[in-house]
Amino acid sequence: MDITIKVYALGFLFLFTFTGDVSALSVTVNDVECVYEYVLYEGDTVSGNFVVVDHDIFWSSDHPGIDLFVSTPGGNVVQSMKGTSGEKFEFKAPRSGMYQFCFHNPYSTPETVSFYIHVGHIPNEHDLAQDEHLDPVNVKIAELREALESVTAEQKFLKARDARHRHTNESTQKRVIFYTIGEYILLAIASGLQVVYIRRLFSKSVAYNRV
Amino acid sequence: MEKKRSQFGALSLCLILASQLLTTQAVWLTLPPSGTKCVSEEIQTNVVVLADYVVVSQDHNHLPTISVKVTSPYGNDLYHKENITYGQFALTTSEAGNYLACFWLDGQHGKGETNVNLDWKIGIAAKDWESVARKEKIEGVELELRKLEGAVEAIHENLLYLKSREAEMRTLSETTNARVARFSIMSLGACIVASGLQIMHLKSYFQKKKLI
Repeated sequence: MDITIKVYALGFLFLFTFTGDVSALSVTVNDVECVYEYVLYEGDTVSGNFVVVDHDIFWSSDHPGIDLFVSTPGGNVVQSMKGTSGEKFEFKAPRSGMYQFCFHNPYSTPETVSFYIHVGHIPNEHDLAQDEHLDPVNVKIAELREALESVTAEQKFLKARDARHRHTNESTQKRVIFYTIGEYILLAIASGLQVVYIRRLFSKSVAYNRV
Repeated sequence: MEKKRSQFGALSLCLILASQLLTTQAVWLTLPPSGTKCVSEEIQTNVVVLADYVVVSQDHNHLPTISVKVTSPYGNDLYHKENITYGQFALTTSEAGNYLACFWLDGQHGKGETNVNLDWKIGIAAKDWESVARKEKIEGVELELRKLEGAVEAIHENLLYLKSREAEMRTLSETTNARVARFSIMSLGACIVASGLQIMHLKSYFQKKKLI
């Protein structure tokens, strides 16, 4: 019972210490995958991006894309993106609480999605008045930190897109080699079969007078 | 009395850590009743990875236990723990590639949804600023500026990494481009050779059969 309370406390304190961002994790989306992020203050800017990595489209040149729905703790959908293979999003949190980021995969093939979510807080005058340790300098530092975080977020987006590009390139290389070898083998088989067929047409055992 | 004391201890721990307001990260993952939930990340070599995980459940009576496994890109088990509700692991990557962390519920599971609170930090975010502050005796604004400097260095490193990946991609694309041209011309040549061989063979066959 003691341990349960402690563990619960541990869980809750982790909950309340987060004003943060998530490392660019990848998750495999089969149908629906939801990820939750806690927003500590109302008015915080929640920004992030997601990229569909490691998809295998065969014929079409376009990825069909997946959907992203961001819901507030109250259940309202605050951002929705349909049918994209990678996008950035940013919104101001209308209230604090647990926000839900859901990826929907409308197709049967599982997709791997690499996502990055950042919750940024800049102290405003209200916070300055309450906490005596905060200077106006801290506000500027927080703004600087948010600007650097946006650069980092952009870099993570580029890194994920680069990973997808690499998959496509490797797949192209493999296709070039295997399809060419397959083409040569099929060519050899087809011309061999042609010769055999023509020989059969002219062979004595099969009424050559027909030709 | 004991219950009150443990609750007080937990609350004070709560307040102490809440006052730090570190830029830590957390994502809640929902664990399916059967099967595993995996998250992965592509990490380069010599990067510090620090992760904390806690099980959070809506079932107040008992906390379900989970098992965790972290595998390296080559399939080696880097961390494996069973039947736990919280834990932490730290590692420095020795190979570049996809690192996978998998969670699954052990046999019994509670009534409500089971979530895992995963705090996954790599690189600069995993740096222990407390020890840096203590060692160099800096605090406040100076510490914040030091953190910003660290962030800028991380951005620079990332940019160099992206540049090198772009160079690799470019050579791969150029190789593929050259190969496509070469193989197409070769297949045209192979077609001509095959038809030439066919004609030669059939001509000699018909001449043998005295048909022409």
